[in-house]
Amino acid sequence: MSIVEVSGLAKSFGQTQVFQDISFRLKSGELVTLLGPSGCGKSTLLRCLAGLITVDAGRIAVDDRDITGTPAYSRGIGMVFQSYALFPNMTVAKNIAFGLAMQKLPADEIAARSAKVIGLVELSGYESQYPHQLSGGQRQRVALARALVVEPKILLLDEPLSALDARIRKSLRDQIRDIQQRLGLTTIFVTHDQEEALILSDRIFVMDGGRIVQEGTAESVYAEPASQFVARFMGHYNLLDGTQSKALLGIETTGYIAIRPESILLSDHPTETEEGIPGVVRRRQLLGNIIRYSVESTGVSLSVDRLNGSADDLLPEGAAVRLRIDKSILREVH
Amino acid sequence: MRAEIYHRTIVSLLVLLLGLPVAATLAYSFATRWGATVLPDGFTLSWYVQLWQDQRFLAAFFRSLVVGFGTLAIGTVVVVPAAFVVFYRFPALDKVMGILSLVPFAVPPVVSSVGLLHLYSDGPLPLVGTPWILVGCDLAIVLPFLYRAQANALGAINLRDLMDAAHILGAGTARAFLMVVFPLLRKGLMASLFLSFSLLLGEFVFANILVGTRYETLQVYLYNVRQVSGHFTSAAVMSYFFFTLVLTWLAARLGR
Ligand SMILES: Nc1ncnc2c1ncn2[C@@H]1O[C@H](COP(=O)(O)OP(=O)(O)OP(=O)(O)O)[C@@H](O)[C@H]1O
Ligand SMILES: [Mg+2]
Repeated sequence: MSIVEVSGLAKSFGQTQVFQDISFRLKSGELVTLLGPSGCGKSTLLRCLAGLITVDAGRIAVDDRDITGTPAYSRGIGMVFQSYALFPNMTVAKNIAFGLAMQKLPADEIAARSAKVIGLVELSGYESQYPHQLSGGQRQRVALARALVVEPKILLLDEPLSALDARIRKSLRDQIRDIQQRLGLTTIFVTHDQEEALILSDRIFVMDGGRIVQEGTAESVYAEPASQFVARFMGHYNLLDGTQSKALLGIETTGYIAIRPESILLSDHPTETEEGIPGVVRRRQLLGNIIRYSVESTGVSLSVDRLNGSADDLLPEGAAVRLRIDKSILREVH
Repeated sequence: MRAEIYHRTIVSLLVLLLGLPVAATLAYSFATRWGATVLPDGFTLSWYVQLWQDQRFLAAFFRSLVVGFGTLAIGTVVVVPAAFVVFYRFPALDKVMGILSLVPFAVPPVVSSVGLLHLYSDGPLPLVGTPWILVGCDLAIVLPFLYRAQANALGAINLRDLMDAAHILGAGTARAFLMVVFPLLRKGLMASLFLSFSLLLGEFVFANILVGTRYETLQVYLYNVRQVSGHFTSAAVMSYFFFTLVLTWLAARLGR
C-alpha cells in the first residue's frame, strides 16, 4: 500500500538507450500494466525499479523515501520474473521460504508465513515437490508466493503469464488480480498482450521505444489512442492514411484516421438509394462471439466487427454491402 | 532385418577388436606361463600379489593420486568461480575461454613439453623434475574439460534471473552463488572431475619428459617396468585399467 513516484528515469547499455525520461506516479493499491511490444524496455525498467541494475538518471521514491540508490533487498519490492527463476535445487517450500530464511527469522515464523502464502496461491500439498515436477501455472504461483511472502510494499510482475496456455492464463490472471486486491498491493504488471492489460488494469502505461507514450484507464486508452502506434497496438483499429481517408470519407489528414472495427455498420441488403459507402466482403473470420469481415471499398480494406448473431445474418464472401461510418467516433492520430 | 544383421555384425566386430587386447592382457595377467601353447599352462594370482606388494608400484600409484587430486583441487577452485564470473559478468569472454582451453589440444605434448623444459629448467622458477610442473601441466590438460562442463551447466540455466531473484530476496552474490547456482553445477562438476582424473592417471608424455623417475608416477612406472615380466606388466595395466573403469563409470553415473 504504497505510493510510487518515478521521475526522469533513463538507462542505456553502452551506446543503446533503452529508455529515457520515464516519469509516472502510482497510487496506493493500484495495479498498473506496462504495455508495450517486445524489446521496448519493459523488463529493463522493472529491473531498475527493483534495484537490480542502476539507472543513469532520474529518481525513484516510495512513500516519499528516495530509493534510487538503495540495494535491491532493502527496497521492499517483490518481483516475479519472466522466466519464473525458481531455484531448481529447492523444493516449493524452500523456494518460498528463501526470502524469510535470508532475513534469519526463527523457523516457526518462517513456517507459519510460508504456509499462509502457500494457501493464498492454492499450492497446499505441493510443498515438497521440486519445480521441475510442477506445471507452468503452478511454477508461476510458486514464484508469486516467493515474492509475496516477504510482504513487499510493491509487486513487480514481468510478463508472468506469457509462457502459459490460454486457459491457465485466464484463471491465473484473475487469481493475480484477486490476490492483489485482497492485499491492496501496489503492483506493476508488465505485458505485451493488450487484452490482458485491458482486463486487469486500473491504469495502463503504453510503452514504445523506451518512452511511455500514453497513460490512462483501460477505457480511455482503448477509446482514445494518442498515436498511430497506440491505435495499432491496442486493437484492430483500421488506420487510413491521407489518400485513403480522402477517398473513403472525404476527410483530409496529414496523419491517420483511426476507425474501430466495431464502430462500422454494415447493411447487407443495400438498396440503390441507401446511404453509405459501397463495398464488397472479401474475407470472413469467426472470432467466437464476433465475426470479423474484411471489406473492400474504393481500394481500401477495412476490418468490420459484427456480433455473431443468427446464422441468417452471416455475409458470404463476395457479398455487396454498404458501410456506414459514424464520423463522430473517428480519431485522427499521428 | 538385413540392416539389423549388418549393424549387429559391425558392432560385434568393433567390440571384439577393442575387447580382444584387453581380454588377452587380462588372461595374461592371470597366467603362470603362456608360451608356445594356445592356452596358458595355469592360472595364478601371484602377479597381482607381487604387484600390490611392490613398494615402487604403490609409491608411484600414490604419487599419481597426489598429482591428480592436487590438480583437480586447484582446478576446481580456479575454474568454477572463473566460469561463474565469465557467465555472470562478462559473457563475451566465454569465446576467449573456449579458445584458451583449446590450446592444450592444439599443441602436441611432445612439443609443448620442450617449451616447458626450456622455460622451467632454470631461472627464477626451476620446476622441472618436481611434481609442481606436473600439476601445472595437468591443469592445462584438464582445463577444457572442467571449463566446458561448467560452461554447459551455466549456459543451461537462466543465470541472471536466478541471481536477481536471490538478490531481491536478500542474498548477496556469494551467498546466491553458493545456495542457488553451485548446487546446479555440482553434478556436471563431479562428472568432469572423474573424467579428468582418469585422463590424468593415463598421462605419460609430460610426466616422463618433465619429471621422469625423479617423481615416478603410475604411467612412468609402467613404462619403466615393461622389461620385468609381461605377466607382471599385464597385472599393472589391468589394475590401472580397472581403476579407470570405475572412475569412468562413476563419471557416467553422476553425469546423468
Ligand atoms: N544487459 C544488457 N546489455 C545490453 N543490452 C540490453 C541488456 N538488457 C537489455 N538490453 C537491451 O535493451 C532493450 C530492452 O530490453 P528489455 O528486456 O527491457 O525488453 P522487454 O520490453 O522486456 O522485451 P520482452 O517483451 O521481449 O521481454 C533490448 O533492445 C535489449 O537488447
Ligand atoms: Mg521482458
